[in-house]
Amino acid sequence: MADRLLTTVSPHLHKKDETIQKAMRNVLLALAPAAIWAVIVFGMNVVYIIAVSMVTAALSELLMRKIMGRKQTLGDLSAMVTALLFAFLLPPTTPLWVVAIGVFIAVALFKELFGGLGKNVFNPAIAARVVLYFLPLAIYGQKFVKPFFWKTSGFFTPVATSVSNGVATFKNLAGGHVDIVAAATPLSLIKNGRLLAPDVITGSTPVAATYVNGAGRPNFVSLFFGLKGGTIGEISVLLLLLGGIFLIYRRTVDWRIPVGIIGTYFVLSLVTWFYPGYALFSGGLWLGAFYMATDWVTSPVTRRGKWIYAVGIGATVFILRFFFSRPEGVALSIFAWNIGALVIDRYIAMPKFGELGVGAFNRLPALPQPAPESYAWRPHFLE
Amino acid sequence: MMAGKTGYKTFKGGIHPPYKKELASAKAIVEAPVPHEVLIPLSQHIGAPNDPLVSQGDRVGLGQKIGASEAFVSAPVHSSVAGTVKEITEVTGFTGAPAKCIVITSDANQPDFERKPGKELDSFSDEELRAIAREAGLVGMGGAAFPTHVKLTPPKDKPVDMVIINAVECEPYLTCDHRTMLERPSDLVQGLKLLLKATGAKKGIIGIEANKMDAVDIMRSAIAGEPDLSVEVMEVKYPEGAEKMLISALTGRKVPPGKLPSEVGCLVQNVGTAVALFEAAAWGKPLYERVLTVTGPGIKEPSNLLARIGTPVSALVEACGGIVGEPARLIVGGPMTGWAQPDDSAPIVKGTSGILALTADVVDVGSEEECVRCGKCVDVCPMFLLPNFIVQAAKNGQWDRAEMWGALDCFECGCCSFTCPAYIPHVDYVREAKAGIAAAKRG
Ligand code: SF4
Ligand code: SF4
Repeated sequence: MADRLLTTVSPHLHKKDETIQKAMRNVLLALAPAAIWAVIVFGMNVVYIIAVSMVTAALSELLMRKIMGRKQTLGDLSAMVTALLFAFLLPPTTPLWVVAIGVFIAVALFKELFGGLGKNVFNPAIAARVVLYFLPLAIYGQKFVKPFFWKTSGFFTPVATSVSNGVATFKNLAGGHVDIVAAATPLSLIKNGRLLAPDVITGSTPVAATYVNGAGRPNFVSLFFGLKGGTIGEISVLLLLLGGIFLIYRRTVDWRIPVGIIGTYFVLSLVTWFYPGYALFSGGLWLGAFYMATDWVTSPVTRRGKWIYAVGIGATVFILRFFFSRPEGVALSIFAWNIGALVIDRYIAMPKFGELGVGAFNRLPALPQPAPESYAWRPHFLE
Repeated sequence: MMAGKTGYKTFKGGIHPPYKKELASAKAIVEAPVPHEVLIPLSQHIGAPNDPLVSQGDRVGLGQKIGASEAFVSAPVHSSVAGTVKEITEVTGFTGAPAKCIVITSDANQPDFERKPGKELDSFSDEELRAIAREAGLVGMGGAAFPTHVKLTPPKDKPVDMVIINAVECEPYLTCDHRTMLERPSDLVQGLKLLLKATGAKKGIIGIEANKMDAVDIMRSAIAGEPDLSVEVMEVKYPEGAEKMLISALTGRKVPPGKLPSEVGCLVQNVGTAVALFEAAAWGKPLYERVLTVTGPGIKEPSNLLARIGTPVSALVEACGGIVGEPARLIVGGPMTGWAQPDDSAPIVKGTSGILALTADVVDVGSEEECVRCGKCVDVCPMFLLPNFIVQAAKNGQWDRAEMWGALDCFECGCCSFTCPAYIPHVDYVREAKAGIAAAKRG
């Protein structure tokens, strides 16, 4: 008998189904409806993009772990989550090679070089997206199409943005002629802090929505159900919300983060009367709040930390939209607050049970010696 | 004081492990056979070690004191059988550390314990009760094994106004306190009244989790007509039986970090200890046997046994029909805080509340991954510590940081590891950190 007895330290029980893999699987499940909806709205293009993203992510992780001599962890599905989330942040006409470069940046640089899942400072999908904004490739991420544009090009036909002489148009990869017009996303109607009529801002470009109101802007039905233009994953607020509720119910994500982000944003837009209804349902706020900001690794671990982080993101998104008209505000905000999360965890004090009179901030003892494990891109002060 | 989801009193944090109490909760306490040899560890308490009072070849009687120390924080040990001292030797104890044991070969015919006629229970003074507790070798029988007479001697400036009987039994599988309440309610009440007497406290509370409503009913009728005593039903949650959590749940008082319950005027005693105090005062019986639960899916006949201290695990498992299935872990104590055994040779001690055989299907051994910072351990930690950072600091050998994140306040309940998706054995790291901090302080 003796040789089969395990003598590991207590506790000897583990919570059922509480594993990294199951959590990642939950995220993939929660995102599935929104992905299917994107296929319906934008055609098979979406499938091609997601497939390239996932395959590249898997290969990048395999390769990096091989090079760095770490054990392979593809089974934890975290690379698949990153791949899907990254695809969700792209316009449905992003060329596949841009997808591959982007997801390589996400997985190889922002995850594996930092030390792998758990050691990464930034949400890899968000970080790669932010990097793409600042690369010349950014132009590929700026062209959006109307829902059901595939009615003119064919459901299965791959369509990608192409750039010549600095002007982006669309190209039919099957070799045929494409007759697709670029369309403005609902959020892009907000410029310089004002919600404009479509023709003022876009000239001859139509606004990408199936149903519009009297002023020519997408109405609530288009915005909420996802009959609008935008990135692959952000269009259907309804499906994102349902998936998010599923994740909260499964305790994969902490409700404080989405509630804090969306609540803060909504309150600020109410106070300033910054198109509270319209802007709330446009853009990537829901995708970011439920699926990106809630990333375990890059959000704070304490409850009070989560509140600070969530309110911070909500306020930053608002500021970026209000003052700078940045449509990529959600990604930028989360990116910035990913560092905030580490700082919050270390310096915002959490009183222990029965402890009174603790200050608001921790005073961290200085590091006695460099942390034994060092990671190429992980700065020393983060340890 | 906090009301949980069920409306019963509870604390913040904690977990809901699978309880599996039904395996043994209906089994009446039976006496385990006296083993042909007992191995009685000389020191079974927290505090100064005992010296042996007997030597090889000596005859010892049942309940004879065989080990003691002059130090205040110590509790003597008594022979649990009548027999002959075979040797005094080191054996591997249930924690894996070597323990000096008095090995006694038991006589073929074991005498029954002779009750000594004592005084009226009401007539004991607090001094006398403390002396009795000490003489009888009483320690906390919930597992911590802190000498009872020390607990009964609170600092002069911190009077105790409330005695709490810890009848929570929040560890999954274990049912020995539950059975004791069902079978010996009036002895428990007598024990509680002696504890009130010894401390001068006015109020006595028996805290029971809501999964033992039959015990609640029985204890409520047992305290009928005692205005100072009450029975409180508590939400089922682990680790509600931890002293600080129990006090907080029942009274709302919070024991500060590093302090004892007397800081907030409370004394907590386990069911077994209260009954043992009654036995010591009324019958002159020292603590040489205890009720424990032998259970788990790997035990043929899960039972609640009255077993002699020093009985080897193997004898008790055998008394319950032996092992069935594929045992993956044999545990002394409960599944959350107990000690996994490499074999079945360790003897039980005063603080042993159970023996558990877990089969492979209930033992979930994941491989330890990098912390993914999910914060689940932080959410469940009843001490509001940052288990993930303690682990990180321990891995890096940063002892001052480990202390800052709360390593010294961790009472190793295991909630964090239970709920950690990365399967990190926090308790292992915490112990390492505690040792590291202590070593760093020594300089
Ligand atoms: S539960 Fe485990 S993975 Fe999550 S933060 Fe705590 S130690 Fe890290
Ligand atoms: S850190 Fe210690 S007290 Fe907190 S949950 Fe883990 S074992 Fe329990």
